[in-house]
Amino acid sequence: MLELITAVIKPHKLDDVKEALLAIGIKGITVTEVRGFGRQGGKTEVYRGSEYSIDFIPKVKLEVIVPAAEVSSVIDAIVAAARTERIGDGKVWSMPIGNLIRVRTGETGTDAI
Amino acid sequence: MQALTLRTRLADKDRQKFFLAFLGGKLIGIAGAVAAIITLGPWFTGQVAHALAPGADDLQTQITGTINGLNTAWTLIAAFLVFFMQAGFMMLEAGFSRTREVVNVLMECIVDTCLCALLFWAFGFAFMFGVGNGFIGHSFFFLHGATATYTFGGSFDTGVAFMAFFLFQYAFADTCSTITSGAMVGRTGFWGDIWYSIGVSGFIYPIIGHWIWGPGGFLQTAHNGVWLRDFAGSTVVHTVGGIIALCGAIVLGPRLGRKFKRDGGGLPAGHDLTIAAIGGVILWFGWYGFNPGSTLSAIDAAGIGRVATNTTLAAAAGGMVAMFLVYPRSKKWDVGITINGFLGALVAITAPCYWVSPTGAIIIGALAAPVVVYGIDLIEWFRIDDPIGAVAVHGFCGIFGTWCVGLFATGEYADFKGLFYGGGTKQLWAQVWGNGLVVIVTVVVSFILFTVVKATGTLRVSEDGEREGIDIHEHGSPAYHPESAFMGRGL
Repeated sequence: MLELITAVIKPHKLDDVKEALLAIGIKGITVTEVRGFGRQGGKTEVYRGSEYSIDFIPKVKLEVIVPAAEVSSVIDAIVAAARTERIGDGKVWSMPIGNLIRVRTGETGTDAI
Repeated sequence: MQALTLRTRLADKDRQKFFLAFLGGKLIGIAGAVAAIITLGPWFTGQVAHALAPGADDLQTQITGTINGLNTAWTLIAAFLVFFMQAGFMMLEAGFSRTREVVNVLMECIVDTCLCALLFWAFGFAFMFGVGNGFIGHSFFFLHGATATYTFGGSFDTGVAFMAFFLFQYAFADTCSTITSGAMVGRTGFWGDIWYSIGVSGFIYPIIGHWIWGPGGFLQTAHNGVWLRDFAGSTVVHTVGGIIALCGAIVLGPRLGRKFKRDGGGLPAGHDLTIAAIGGVILWFGWYGFNPGSTLSAIDAAGIGRVATNTTLAAAAGGMVAMFLVYPRSKKWDVGITINGFLGALVAITAPCYWVSPTGAIIIGALAAPVVVYGIDLIEWFRIDDPIGAVAVHGFCGIFGTWCVGLFATGEYADFKGLFYGGGTKQLWAQVWGNGLVVIVTVVVSFILFTVVKATGTLRVSEDGEREGIDIHEHGSPAYHPESAFMGRGL
């Protein structure tokens, strides 16, 4: 069984999270620049003297596929590394995935990680 | 509910107190403004300008040279070219920065340009080119007492209309203060930037510049009567700018999360090399005002041609050598270091461009490349965060270029020869000594300046601000994709 862990974190914590995941033996991650809002809400920016509110704040979305047995340790690592204890630290969630295939070799399941 | 009529408002004790305090504050303000007008007024109308420089008074009436239209036009064209170097600096610095600090880089350059113009008008020009003593000039405050042409206190009539000369020198001063910001990208608070810019373009640059270029500056005679020769500013503009940049970067400390080469990191990649490369070439283009314009004479056609050619050949050699020098490291043809290579060569040829042969210029440019490449390595090794390479390009190559006058001057175009042309070490020592003195003074003064600004708490942005990105923290707006602000708003 494989699970997909997705984390939405503050952009400047990406390096810390990457280091933490490498340290526990994760081989690869996928990262996307995203925008969104949660409880933090939006914020205000200024352009040519007038203020406007930004509803969607830049975040980094990070995806990693791991065997089900490792899910909790990986999530713990992400949470510990991404935490600043301030609003807007983000979310982490996991979900089971059906299959995983390595394109180059055709390997499937855990072998393809 | 009782309506707030004027009568009830006037009867209200709190309102009366507030009104009186408000009125009192206004009166104090008006009194201050009136006092300032009374005391400063004569300066603006020029009544006391002559009293400030009694010696200058005679000189100004004695030599009112005839304006030479050609020289003035040439100097103005050169001034416009040097001014356009600001565009080059903005592009180079922005391109070599990270996306989150681009607006800040642009704003620093723009504000330096505006601030420097006003300071140079008020007292910068007076300190630098006013008649005074060997240390500082003190005439032409607020451009009062201007003669028809600028004459270096009566010693040499340029034939250039006074205001044209002022504009040309302002463009130079602006260059110096912009160089400084290059090493301080991404973490300098904007108030801090304004404070130190006032120090740099209002005081440090003009006063040190006076020693070498101003009328009667002491470095023209201090070393056994041998003049520290600096044709277009390797020392005055670039050494001073580069060394201030170095001190600023040291006092500021590196950007958050910056890992250095010896710690397994490296300089964060510039975010837009197209902009950086074009900015570099615009600087090269602007240098045709910087060096050939420093003849201050359109009549000296041979000199202008020689200086322009020497400038080009040095830059060409610098770019090529820098490129081949770093090729073995990565087996890649690196654009960033090639740009810095020809810029370093341009800085190095700035002092000797008038007095050397084309071959000499090529050798100077070629030797400037290793100064830049290993200079950047050295700065990185000392764990100093210089995102643009300003210290190596302007500081180290400025020092090297100043020495080159004493090494490569052919003696054909002036009455002194460099070491390699049989002139002995006389000129070389004057160059090394004078430049060394400028470096020491600049280090001391700028460390004091930055420490004082740091003590006010404005020099560096807060940690949160830096993480968020200095653009949004200080300027409220990112350089790219501001349209995302309107996502989901139907705009």
